[in-house]
Amino acid sequence: MNFITTYCHISEDHCAVNGEVLLTNESENSWIRTLYDHFKIDYSKFHKMDLMSKIGVIGSEILKSQNGKIVDYDDDEIALVFANKNSSANTDVKFQQSFKENGSPSPALFVYTLPNIVLGEIAIKNKWYGENIFVVSENFDPEFYENYCNILIPSKAMACACGWVNVLNDSIEAFFFFVEKEASTEDSLPLTSNNLLNLRKA
Amino acid sequence: MEELKKNLKEQIIERLNLEDVQPADINDNDPLFGGDLALDSIDALELIVLFENYYGLKITDPEKGKKVFESINTMADYISKNN
Amino acid sequence: MRIYIGAENIISPLGKSADDNFHALKTNTSAGKYFEGLGFNDETVFLMKFDQKDKTSFSQLVDDCLSGISGKLSGKLLSSEKTLLIFSTTKGNFESNFTNGIASFCSDLKEKYELKNDPLAVSNACISGVLAINVAADYIKPGLYENVVVIGCDVVSEFVLYGFQSLFALSDDVCRPFDEDRKGINLGEACAAVVLSKNVEIFKEQPLIYVSGSSSNDANHISGPSRTGEGLYRSVVKTLKLSGLSAKDIDFISGHGTATVFNDEMESIAFDRLKMNHIPINSLKAYFGHTLGAAGLVETAISMQSLRNNLLIKSLGFENQGTSKQLNVIEENSEKEIAAFLKTASGFGGCNASLIIKRA
Repeated sequence: MNFITTYCHISEDHCAVNGEVLLTNESENSWIRTLYDHFKIDYSKFHKMDLMSKIGVIGSEILKSQNGKIVDYDDDEIALVFANKNSSANTDVKFQQSFKENGSPSPALFVYTLPNIVLGEIAIKNKWYGENIFVVSENFDPEFYENYCNILIPSKAMACACGWVNVLNDSIEAFFFFVEKEASTEDSLPLTSNNLLNLRKA
Repeated sequence: MEELKKNLKEQIIERLNLEDVQPADINDNDPLFGGDLALDSIDALELIVLFENYYGLKITDPEKGKKVFESINTMADYISKNN
Repeated sequence: MRIYIGAENIISPLGKSADDNFHALKTNTSAGKYFEGLGFNDETVFLMKFDQKDKTSFSQLVDDCLSGISGKLSGKLLSSEKTLLIFSTTKGNFESNFTNGIASFCSDLKEKYELKNDPLAVSNACISGVLAINVAADYIKPGLYENVVVIGCDVVSEFVLYGFQSLFALSDDVCRPFDEDRKGINLGEACAAVVLSKNVEIFKEQPLIYVSGSSSNDANHISGPSRTGEGLYRSVVKTLKLSGLSAKDIDFISGHGTATVFNDEMESIAFDRLKMNHIPINSLKAYFGHTLGAAGLVETAISMQSLRNNLLIKSLGFENQGTSKQLNVIEENSEKEIAAFLKTASGFGGCNASLIIKRA
């Protein structure tokens, strides 16, 4: 049995950690900048990322801030298991505009027109060399996370940083959670599809 | 010249999607590559596109590109000398 | 538990079955052609793309490929509740549904083929195909499904073509993997599939055995490969460890070999670190182009044919060693007893994957 040891949500109007709303989007500053400052990310490459990668990096930083054990894993023990509905569509639209409306295809946008780039950005930020997978599905599929984390742990990974991160027309729907063999935090819950469905709604 | 530098900063922020960076965050002499902006080879390609689109300047030699794109000052110099 | 893999199929400009495609490779035929004015700014581009006369839609390619594999299987496997379909793609049919080209296509497949389970779509850049095969085996092992059909498809779109042009990553003629004069990739389009199962009897032709596989991230750069081949090195080490085999059991390597300066150099460094650079290696990119989400499946299917026929396929486009570490690039088609091969892939996002397949 594996456990969900911490989780968080990010949308365009709020950010919740382990079910408690921590920040709401009220300030004059950009929402992403507010989150970046609040979680003291201080990472110059962050500003060049597309929105989905930024959300993914913020999400992984929040998980680390809530579970001190995450940084103790070896550099290839944490797998990244992510999914969404619209793939990289948010940036695809912008890249298409670059050549249809703004004169020429933008290389800096093109490199973000794959959904798994967010995994690369998280891996680079944390120097995580573990397994990666990005899956696209019409709806949040708790069984996928349950099955795949149970497959990976312990034969191919010791823990999984998981995410559902969908960004379209700059609207954000993100849910991140960390899965481990042991219930390392007080709020840990068994990794089951039902628990995932409930936490996602929280 | 100041106007040109200001425009350059705005164009770089726009083309490189540095959404959370303000023009005032970029100093004229700061190295664009290897500095706080953490620009890389893909961004160099983007700056080549920017030069062509906004200033009609074609840079085909990557070595020359490296020198030209060192900082806002070197970019502005190159534009004013070649326009 | 033994996991069988077989019923491989490929639809590409080189042919409409795995046999047709393998036959074209036996004569070292490339699918590449010049397409006038197709690129951005009406540039002429060299692509492995279907001719206008054979122009076929994304969904037609998938239909043709699925109907090809069903002829190689006994019974109605696809619509069985014990079967999962895994779809591998980078962009899906996004030319029909721009913001939802993958998930909606999978829903359509489910309805059309009366699939009992929701298809799983893996979209992990250029390693999608190899990763999807690994996931298939991982799902069979604990008994979640008995059979998994893995199908990969990507087509050449204006979007992807212009993107690679903007990166100055395209070669203006047929690409030259591992060669000193290599200057970039060719884009290609194809659809390919394999079937994995715990049941040998579902295959009409003797299947092979899937041994192991894994993935690893370079943690270095999103659009450039690691200078040390870190992720590829780690993935192969892990795949070998899981396999119980050692490097000496690998008879050939089907590399990624995109023919960009940095990718091929990275592969040579990784295989040198692995002490596997003496093993015969090929890249099939000069035959099929880079077919992105289909590439891992196309190249695994051809390698399975190589194993079945005990025939190493020449790495087309290669003449002179062009990497800092020596590789044993296959220079001519040659007969060899093949018991097992290693397939590797690397892609944007710093991802790498590998798998091993052996004779049953």
